[in-house]
Amino acid sequence: MIANPFTAQDWNAVAPLFIVGFTALAVLLTDLVAPKQPSRYVPVGIGIAGLAAAGIYAGSQYFAPAHDAFGGGFILGGFSIVLQAIIVVAAIFSLGLYGTIGRAQGVAGATALLLWSTSGAMLMAGAANLMTIFLGLELLSLALYCLCGLADRPASRESALKYLILSSTASGFLLFGMALLFGTSGSVALSALSSPALASNALYWVGGGLFLAGLAFKLSLVPFHVWSPDVYEGAPLPVTAFMSVVTKAATVAVFARFAYAAIAPGASAAILLPFYVIAGISMIAGNLGMLAQTDMKRLLAYSGIAQIGYIVAALAGASALGVRYAIYYLAAYAFMNLGAFATVALLSGENEEGSRIASFQGLAQRRPFLAAAMTFFLLALAGFPPTAGFLGKILILSTNVSTGYPWLAGLLVAGTAISLYAYFKVIRLMYEPHARPYAGASARAPLAYLSLAICLAALLVMTFYPLTPSNVLPLAK
Amino acid sequence: MSLLLILLPILAGAALFGLPRADTRASKIAGCAVAAITFFVPIAAGGDGNFAAHWLSRPFTASLHFAWSGPAYWIVLLLALCTFCAILGTNMTRPRVLIALLLMLEGTMMGVFEAKDVLAFALFWDLMLIPPFFALVGWGGHRETAWRYLIYNFSGGLLLLLATAAFGVLYGSTDVIGTAHQLQGAWAPWIFAGFAFAFAVKTPVFPLHTWMPPTYADSPPPMAAVVSAVQSKAGLYGFLVICLPFFSGAMAQSRWIFITLALISLLYGAYIALVQTDTKRIVAYSSLSHLGLIVLGIFSLNPVAIAGVLLYIVAHGLFSAALFLTLGYVEEREGTRSLTRLGGLGRANPKLAGAFTIAALAALGLPGLAGFAGELITLTGVFQAGLFWPALIALVPIVLASAYMLRLLQDVINGPQVEDIPQRPDLTLSEAFALAPLLAAVTVLGCYPHAVLSTVIPAAGALLK
Repeated sequence: MIANPFTAQDWNAVAPLFIVGFTALAVLLTDLVAPKQPSRYVPVGIGIAGLAAAGIYAGSQYFAPAHDAFGGGFILGGFSIVLQAIIVVAAIFSLGLYGTIGRAQGVAGATALLLWSTSGAMLMAGAANLMTIFLGLELLSLALYCLCGLADRPASRESALKYLILSSTASGFLLFGMALLFGTSGSVALSALSSPALASNALYWVGGGLFLAGLAFKLSLVPFHVWSPDVYEGAPLPVTAFMSVVTKAATVAVFARFAYAAIAPGASAAILLPFYVIAGISMIAGNLGMLAQTDMKRLLAYSGIAQIGYIVAALAGASALGVRYAIYYLAAYAFMNLGAFATVALLSGENEEGSRIASFQGLAQRRPFLAAAMTFFLLALAGFPPTAGFLGKILILSTNVSTGYPWLAGLLVAGTAISLYAYFKVIRLMYEPHARPYAGASARAPLAYLSLAICLAALLVMTFYPLTPSNVLPLAK
Repeated sequence: MSLLLILLPILAGAALFGLPRADTRASKIAGCAVAAITFFVPIAAGGDGNFAAHWLSRPFTASLHFAWSGPAYWIVLLLALCTFCAILGTNMTRPRVLIALLLMLEGTMMGVFEAKDVLAFALFWDLMLIPPFFALVGWGGHRETAWRYLIYNFSGGLLLLLATAAFGVLYGSTDVIGTAHQLQGAWAPWIFAGFAFAFAVKTPVFPLHTWMPPTYADSPPPMAAVVSAVQSKAGLYGFLVICLPFFSGAMAQSRWIFITLALISLLYGAYIALVQTDTKRIVAYSSLSHLGLIVLGIFSLNPVAIAGVLLYIVAHGLFSAALFLTLGYVEEREGTRSLTRLGGLGRANPKLAGAFTIAALAALGLPGLAGFAGELITLTGVFQAGLFWPALIALVPIVLASAYMLRLLQDVINGPQVEDIPQRPDLTLSEAFALAPLLAAVTVLGCYPHAVLSTVIPAAGALLK
């Protein structure tokens, strides 16, 4: 009889993923036995409960010692847990937005897909070998392709198809890169890639480059960004909100592990430099792209391109503090983006006409609190106090200065200066006196209001109590 | 206690903003009460109202550390007084929102002046730029003005942010305002440049001043009064408490650049003020000229000049707030700011004309009013520092000030009444009470500058140590 190679501890490490995955099955099963006119809150409620349980389970292991599950395929530690927490919170908030749009039918399926996508992202948060990384990425993406096409609009189908084709191409790059890396090191473990002998192997450089290009696509860094505004615009709002945070958080996790743990000593600065250069270009190009937008979702897509540039910049130099600040900024970004999407969702009706920027005109007259909340989130994205965006930028700037990447700090400042105009254009539109202000749909969506309030409070609290997780290193064994 | 001065106005402003049913009278009373509290608390409480709470420990230590000690004390009082008068003197449309913005502006600027930590200073610096932007959006005439204000000042704010991060990394702590230590190293001049750019934009100094005249002209008068009286001092205050104690080496190296720019500001501001026909722009350009003198005083790196600068900061705040409020009243009554259309105000509105005259005379530096002592001491200090020619050149615009201020007075108050302009009633009671404290302070400070000087002389010495 063959002994079971995996211990209870291994299964324990991935238990949160299984909780989320089985919750998705539970949602579908409940839908089978549900009455003809189901309430949309039943699947959403079950989904949120399952996510919360998974989040709590993962969080309870934060102070336990780090553990390599499945022979190093999945590392349970501070880093994976914090990122899983961000992913779970983002998923919960996106589910909360399901109440604002669409018909009740089909919500169960959409909830299940979102949960499976979440479990893929959670796998990526802890993945430490090439196989688990790809497994997580595909689980995340496959569910997302379907989710993008769920809305009953041509733009939504276009979005799904575009995402499917382009993202699959990127996955191909990633997979090819992984194959080459596997060929050179003879192991799928990320840690095997840090062997000094590899630095002289040309295949290692090609493989690493293809791998990073695939990641850059998933992060929508310039020049691999063109898909994201179209996909964001077409996808249903809650899915866009989910995508803008979860995909990026999971990919940042993979990139951080690669950058911190899988680089041969002789190659560390050189192989990653192009990645930081495109992160810097993204800060400028993303913010420039925002200037011309007329749709809020497209604007937030371009804003996301720039924001992810800031997060990647924090990792430049692979300093111990850098990864903490990247996580801090990622958490802040999650809250500000989810808050902004919650506001847009509350203003949008069935057809999402409220996501046009023009419909924000004179908002302050009719919905002063929503206008104030939106202002707060836009200020956060622009890096203004008293939001966590301000402190996050300070922390990233100081990391860049101390690790010898002052040019990234300069690009960050320049990019932010450009972004001011784009964000304040919306703010100004909301507060300018207007004859016929758009009131927005008055959807009964208590969950969306709740997530809005939580995002506001979190951004404020994070500014004055900057908790950056301390036990996140090392990222691989 | 110092935290109260920051939080009370901000929270009161937010509350006022969120109460759509509050009527004008109630919001005015509430606003004045809050401003009055912030004025009397530092006087009654004594001490320096120190408040400190730990904020960051990595990558550098930072605290939320506030106090009204040292050079901040008089500016804090000036800010509270100006806010009080501006709120009392508000008679714009939608006064509730404007009063809310004025209160938030007061709270955030309190944060700037009370901050003892550079990071907290930068935080409130960015915050204080937001209320004037909203005032320009809600009341300003031209679309472009708000953008110009925003882009200029926020670009400065971003460089301030970068400089703060670099300063923190190099120095290890940002909780340093009020101490003095030379920052060494190759990076120090660059960090200084970042700070100096932000401060020079905010002051403003030629050639970074182009946002200022339209902003002051288009803002609602109470907002223009507070912004010109106090917010413009934030840049000067930054030069005094951040650049002087930590970058005096870099300051000495780049001294001639700033002295030249200050002299250009002095002359150029005075010249434009002579030829402008828009009343508010005349005062805006005269402000550019006066603040140029202050920059000159700071870069003379002389304790006497610094003491004069600290006195003149308070004096300039008082009379420029009074000037913008009175010009606002003139514009409300006559419907124009153009000197060619105004005239003969004195006959119909003697009280308004009287208040305007006192403020304008203070601005031109008449002995016995607040402007004189500050100008004199600053110039004395510049002479003492051995800057003979700059001091001599600086005298020219001071003489020109008499010309443009008297021209303004002459054209608004005297002369024939213009036929097609309706003559409206004189100052109302609340308008009169809004101007009275400012003018009283201008007079008291003019006759007895020692009240302020006795405390700013040791403060000036400490800054240069």
